[in-house]
Amino acid sequence: MLAHRAGRSRTANSGRASGHYDPWVCRVLAYLGRPLPVRNLLFDPDNSLVRQSYSPRMMNTFLNLAGFGMQAWDPTSLRPEDPFTYRVTTLPSFDHNLRSLSSKLAPTCLIAHVRGVTYSSDAIVTDSNLHPFRFGDARIVLAHNGHLRQFSSMRYALVEHVRPGLVRHIEGNTDSEWIYALILSQLDDPYGLPETRELADATANALRILRKVRAGHGIDTSSPVNLCVGTGRAVVATRFSFDYGWYPGEDEMLETDLPFVSLWYTIGGEFAELDGGWQMTASNTPRSAIIASEPLTTDDTTWLEVPEYSMLTAEVTADGLEFETRDLDV
Amino acid sequence: MSDEETVEFLATVPLLEGLEDAYLAELARSVRRRTVREGQLLWRQGDRAREMLFVVAGGVSVSQHLPGDRTVEMAEVGPGDTLGEIALLDGGGNTMSVRVTEEATLLALDRVDFAALLARQHPAAFTLKRRLAALTAARLRVLVRRLALSLGDEPPGGAAGAAEAFADLETCGPPDSKYVRRMATFHEFDPLALWGFLTAGTYVRCPAGRTLIVEGAPSEACYLTINGAVEKVLVRGDCRIRVALAGPGTAFGYEDLIDGGGSPFGAISRERALLLVLPRDQFDRLFNGEGAGSRVFLDVIQRDLVTSLRQTLRPHARLAASV
Repeated sequence: MLAHRAGRSRTANSGRASGHYDPWVCRVLAYLGRPLPVRNLLFDPDNSLVRQSYSPRMMNTFLNLAGFGMQAWDPTSLRPEDPFTYRVTTLPSFDHNLRSLSSKLAPTCLIAHVRGVTYSSDAIVTDSNLHPFRFGDARIVLAHNGHLRQFSSMRYALVEHVRPGLVRHIEGNTDSEWIYALILSQLDDPYGLPETRELADATANALRILRKVRAGHGIDTSSPVNLCVGTGRAVVATRFSFDYGWYPGEDEMLETDLPFVSLWYTIGGEFAELDGGWQMTASNTPRSAIIASEPLTTDDTTWLEVPEYSMLTAEVTADGLEFETRDLDV
Repeated sequence: MSDEETVEFLATVPLLEGLEDAYLAELARSVRRRTVREGQLLWRQGDRAREMLFVVAGGVSVSQHLPGDRTVEMAEVGPGDTLGEIALLDGGGNTMSVRVTEEATLLALDRVDFAALLARQHPAAFTLKRRLAALTAARLRVLVRRLALSLGDEPPGGAAGAAEAFADLETCGPPDSKYVRRMATFHEFDPLALWGFLTAGTYVRCPAGRTLIVEGAPSEACYLTINGAVEKVLVRGDCRIRVALAGPGTAFGYEDLIDGGGSPFGAISRERALLLVLPRDQFDRLFNGEGAGSRVFLDVIQRDLVTSLRQTLRPHARLAASV
């Protein structure tokens, strides 16, 4: 999610050189389950994703005003394997097109993202930096909440770990797009539909590569990597950070990064308005799950926090939703 | 209930036991008596905390909400018990929902009077802070015990091994105080108090994966994470539950120093870490003192305990929800 202007690098070994970070903090959302109007996720709840873009309850030192994006799968649509894509740099709260579309779309899988940026003359707000990322006809999309510190000093060392055919798709200057390329490169077929386990392993392997490259460049400061990776049939999410708790001197992001970057989930029958509030309905068999940077409702009692250093997988099966969390030790 | 009767009742409340009559009389003037019918919801989990309650008579159930419109019963409380003080201590929402199960007589102390009572420069206020710390530690132990029961067996031994592991850690100098001041934990320290705190112990560097405290073992020090992260964990063979994560500005290892009950969980460094080690005698001096440094230190420990308790509720909810 972090974007650096080319040429601005930091001392590789210390991680404490003076200079400027582009401190962006975003919000991610993943939905998997029964068909659900997008507006029920983006606009209707009292802490909806769009509301989080201008009034986040958690990590509220930054606003998320650098753009919005979503990829949504609807099995009843034409070419259902392809997600509906909407990515704009305008503010989602004032986007009437988005509001209108979100009332008409009822996907079974959605990955959405609002991009955060603090004021900086170096900030690059452009279409090519918007999440969720999707290369060509790939079946996998990715949104990222976090940032790799000193990314500019390690970016080109990642080239050898990305398939040549994928490198040419990288158009923006975010770390997130490289993470996406790394994950695709770990799959047997980057453009195919992987098994959930293969996608989870590819995500973990991409993080291992990042750790190795960071170590090779002497980068040892806190770098959160909360990911939502979706295929329309499954979602893989991580709540993870490299070197959590270690910061460069005079770090602008310190107060934001001192707490572990948040990720929450709720699971149940369907996300519905009950007694004036939005929550998952009871169900013996889980049918729907939402994963989000922060609960979509101010009443967070029916939300659970994803454990730090963990990976969460959700997959649609004939019997409902298979859901699993596991420790992420990479 | 006359003021005298109220004071007599308050003197029987374990949290207030032994506090002088004048302090209890002041408390008695601040509380409001209330009778509540069976079935009435006193507050819902997540509601902004407005008051703490002393149960004079009757019964109250405490429950936790889960996804899918479910709840799990956590406790039944009765005469002499208190409710709601945890959320008043950190200003967060109530940690559980509370419903009257048998017509109850309650004494309510609102948040402003609660804060005023603790803010006084009076020995009784320090005693009450220490009692609240012990009460919070006890509630934390109950929650951790529930998690431990889900793992089955008794904890493994090895306290001596952990002590040795700690002994060979590399000592180092203190961190940059500008960095420390930016942690929320230390915002309320004046520079002198912060300097006193930072120089009260020693600093060690610890690699990732090191067992620092063994569950159930006595603790000889309180540890504060300056950099990195330490997991508070329950481990049984290949199974483990992370109870909480002690990142920068978060303490661990002090529960045994408060109540002598051994460490409720183990502590293993998840990241390489820089730790402040506050030996038992320094912890006791700050925890049991009545000066400005002790006031802030007690607040820091209290807030840390409440944070730890809130974190412990999360794996508990996941376990109860079985997702």
